[in-house]
Amino acid sequence: MTRRAAIIATAAIPVGRHQTGPDDAYQAVEHEIMAQVVVDAVGGTGIERSDVGAVIMAQPRPYTRQQYFSTFMTAYLGLQCRGTVMETLGNGLTAALAFDKAIDEVLLGRARVALALGINMETAVSSRDHMMESMRKTGDVDFHVPAGFTPISWYAMDMMRYMHEHGATRAQVAAVAVKNRAHAALNPLAQYRKPITLDEVLAQRPIVEPLGLFEVPPRGDGAACVVVADEDYARALGVPYMAVRSRSFFHEGIHQIGDRPRDMIGFHAAQRASAAAYDAAGVSAADMDLAELYAPCTIVEVLASEAVGLVSRGQGAAAAAAGETSLGGRIPIATAGGLTSRGHPSYATPLYNVVELFAQLTGQAGDRQVADAELAIMSNELGNYNAAMVHILEASR
Amino acid sequence: MIDSVTIATPRAYPPRVTAFTERFWSALAQGRLETTRCTACGEATFPPKPICPHCWHGEVSWIELGAEGRLYSWTRIHAGPAVFSAELPYAVGVVDLDEGIRLAVRLHDDPGTDWQCDAPVRLVRLDYADGPLLAAVPRG
Repeated sequence: MTRRAAIIATAAIPVGRHQTGPDDAYQAVEHEIMAQVVVDAVGGTGIERSDVGAVIMAQPRPYTRQQYFSTFMTAYLGLQCRGTVMETLGNGLTAALAFDKAIDEVLLGRARVALALGINMETAVSSRDHMMESMRKTGDVDFHVPAGFTPISWYAMDMMRYMHEHGATRAQVAAVAVKNRAHAALNPLAQYRKPITLDEVLAQRPIVEPLGLFEVPPRGDGAACVVVADEDYARALGVPYMAVRSRSFFHEGIHQIGDRPRDMIGFHAAQRASAAAYDAAGVSAADMDLAELYAPCTIVEVLASEAVGLVSRGQGAAAAAAGETSLGGRIPIATAGGLTSRGHPSYATPLYNVVELFAQLTGQAGDRQVADAELAIMSNELGNYNAAMVHILEASR
Repeated sequence: MIDSVTIATPRAYPPRVTAFTERFWSALAQGRLETTRCTACGEATFPPKPICPHCWHGEVSWIELGAEGRLYSWTRIHAGPAVFSAELPYAVGVVDLDEGIRLAVRLHDDPGTDWQCDAPVRLVRLDYADGPLLAAVPRG
């Protein structure tokens, strides 16, 4: 039988404001925060520290003072690694790449246990200054950015087009924000937990029309650790674990827009990557019990849910408004609260999505547990879903 | 020929000009929208590139594009990067030219312009104090 990777432990700090300003007497220091999360994840599981052979870290934001933090964290933890110690980078995919590479280290036999780490600190930097950097990561610096495009402006254009093509209303799409806040209310790691109404969502000030404040991601800090091991190692430990059933990636060869008119809201990379992942796992979208989709804005969850086949094309907003994607619905999406309410410490966000699926698939999700959850899809993206990475994950209890 | 609109301020985030794209910017300054077309496969592309992205052939020629097209989608931005703060709110969009070329541009926005997906638009040149940028305005 082919070797499989298993997620055997996770830990994360609640998403929120953790970064300190330059004048604060005591500083929040990345070394202390990250090391505590690693110890929280590993502690009590029986994992031997000496079995950890790889440290794959999502590259922190430039505002994190320690650079090449992966090697300093490896030293801080006193780890000797014969696998790889490195950092990953790729916009929204950044922490998904760390997760994926940690899986590879295990599957290649380079490490018995690999750590996928992410820490994202940015809330002490104002949005207008932060966007000076992020606009250069999401638009062509000579032919898009000079016009003033911002990262989420591309998603806002998806929304305009979606309403135009499918006759969906802003309120239907905004139902995603209400639904995700209700999920976040049940998640101790979530940044915003007070329930909100549809009227409140629609009444927020516009950020990128037609999306208002509650339909776009908040700024947030976070840190997460995901521990990956060979499935045999997981079995020997005797802990509940989550197996990686399959994985796929697709980059559609354009970023934001290509030079030809074409559909922008079908999220073709997510269609291709999810189809390949389902195929490799021998399952279909209908077999999924829940999903974590990287979706910074409400509309992105709608479009991604359609692209990976959980709802039919053009029906994602109506399905969300009808409760199909809520906890207790046909296919719960974003049970942690989504990027709008669980929070979006972006360079750690995909690891938070793994943390949620691990909780769900090992039956430890408490009040937001999806009953009998066995199979889940996770998708992550960069650009406007121009590239997608999909993992199919499975409960093994 | 494309029309121009005078803007008193400099561009917030000026594009870089290369020895290759200088042709594009100087043509634009004279009212012509130009891009490159592959001499092997005949495919045009935008932005202009010294290699063909469709077949990787290394020889391209310059062609002139018309200014008319349709607005594929758009948004109006109310929270923007520091350098664009003075211009907020402003609208941007994706335009599909009649020749089958897609580009992303500023929408020259009389306050409250009712932009619509698929509406006919026309490209114009915004003449900032320090140089030009492309933008779209409603047509018809």
